[in-house]
Amino acid sequence: MILNEYEIWVTAEAFVGGTMPADALHELKQRLIDDHAYNASFRACVDLLRSMEKAGKRQQMKNMLQEIGAGKSAVKKSIPLRSYYIRTAAVAAGMALLTSLSTIWVMNNSSKKDVSQYNVLRRELENIKRSQNQLLKDINTNTKTSQPVSVVKYTGTGFAISNNGYFVTNYHVTEGADSVYIQNHEGDYFKARVLAYEPQTDLAILKVEDDDFRFGSTEVPYTFSGAKAGLGSKVYTLGFPDDEIVYNEGYISAKNGFQNDSMQYRLELPADPGQSGAPVLDANGNVLAIVTAKGKQNEGNTYAESSNALLKLVHSLPKSLSLHLPKTNKLRHLNREEQIKKLEFYTCSVKVYKK
Amino acid sequence: MLYRPLESEEQLLAEFAMGDRAATERIYKQHFKIINGWILKNGGSTDDAADVFQEAMMVMYEKAQAADFRLQCKIGTYVFAISKNLWLKKLKAEDRLPAVAIKDSDNEDGQDAAYEDDLNIHREREVHFEQLSSALEQLGEPCRSLLKAFYEQNKTMQEISADFGYTNPENAKTQKYKCLTRLRKLFYAVKAN
Repeated sequence: MILNEYEIWVTAEAFVGGTMPADALHELKQRLIDDHAYNASFRACVDLLRSMEKAGKRQQMKNMLQEIGAGKSAVKKSIPLRSYYIRTAAVAAGMALLTSLSTIWVMNNSSKKDVSQYNVLRRELENIKRSQNQLLKDINTNTKTSQPVSVVKYTGTGFAISNNGYFVTNYHVTEGADSVYIQNHEGDYFKARVLAYEPQTDLAILKVEDDDFRFGSTEVPYTFSGAKAGLGSKVYTLGFPDDEIVYNEGYISAKNGFQNDSMQYRLELPADPGQSGAPVLDANGNVLAIVTAKGKQNEGNTYAESSNALLKLVHSLPKSLSLHLPKTNKLRHLNREEQIKKLEFYTCSVKVYKK
Repeated sequence: MLYRPLESEEQLLAEFAMGDRAATERIYKQHFKIINGWILKNGGSTDDAADVFQEAMMVMYEKAQAADFRLQCKIGTYVFAISKNLWLKKLKAEDRLPAVAIKDSDNEDGQDAAYEDDLNIHREREVHFEQLSSALEQLGEPCRSLLKAFYEQNKTMQEISADFGYTNPENAKTQKYKCLTRLRKLFYAVKAN
């Protein structure tokens, strides 16, 4: 190939890509005016490059549409049971890395909270997840990319506020997320989107993107308490410190939360990273609060945002949304075990992906 | 409180125009069902519906590439109108158009004309890219695969040089330019015919 040809493509590529320095661009423009033969040739090159780029993108879109049409979803809706357990086994294999779990995210700047006394409870997962993905890849080599592309960075807990896919978790769980998925109690993944959030009370409302999604076969069985519960009230919570749902119980130890925050409760309730966003219920199955953080001075000391803060956030959303808070409490007359069995459908693990 | 509307069609379209998979999937899932239903009622199969719907999505995708792009109606309305139009044209071409005209009362004539423009532009574009594709076919190997790897599969010159056995990315690049030079000639020859 003659040198001229090489040079013209290099120039055309830089021109199309917009990477040309200003003086080179100026020089080029002058040459295009002076040299008609070069001008015609250069234009033809630029046209071809642009056509090739467009053709490539069109083909990608066509392929993608065909894949979607054939039902090959980017995110596999359900993970086969076997690989689900192998995944759990992979966690076990990553036990050596578990130490990183105890690394707790510390609230930075702008926050009113005193860092040294307050630990939010989302779980950092990067290292472990990576090793899981490694194992998963070996298992799933023949299936197309079924997992979200980037790695799970944090996990938290979420629970339904409306059966058609609206749920709540902590703002600090989803903060800065590239994408958010929930995993329900059956191990199925669903993509979700942050709809609204309030950093002040550390709450975020999300919605599962699939409009056909339902948490359970009936409306959400619990109601949200608008009044503050009394000191000493017995409470319990369901959350995902691990891949498995975990039950804990305790009581309200102070009516106000951290630094006398009246929107919070202080609880005597064991909680671990990953339980951020878990519902706190009373014996009758009313949601009183949402687990947020853990005090540092003693093990059982946990802080939770009152459901009042949640109600406030929900009521500030536009009325046009199909978000209807549950009106009837169907847990009231059930014993604890039966309550939990129902609750499992409406509680999910929240997985946050970041690049 | 910070509120980010879920159903912002503009944002969804912008993501779709960038080739974002999640956005594309969302639009597909939201609107395919209704078009499938309509095609089934009008002499087609689900396979026909998928073909027509995917082509309608391509029309919208191309339209969305323009910098000043704005959709004058809802995504669903647009995709449905284009799909209907494409299917009726297909029936006509195959001489299968039913004796009774298919009821099409929900579109005003002005709107229909706008869709017609979009479809004409789409057809011209199709011809352009078919010519390019036929020039690519004539190009032969390894040029065809090399250019596809770069433009379709978004591979870097580094990867291409490894995949195609060039000693270094610079050699692969020289080869790419040679291919482009030949393609340019072939493309113009195809267009001249």
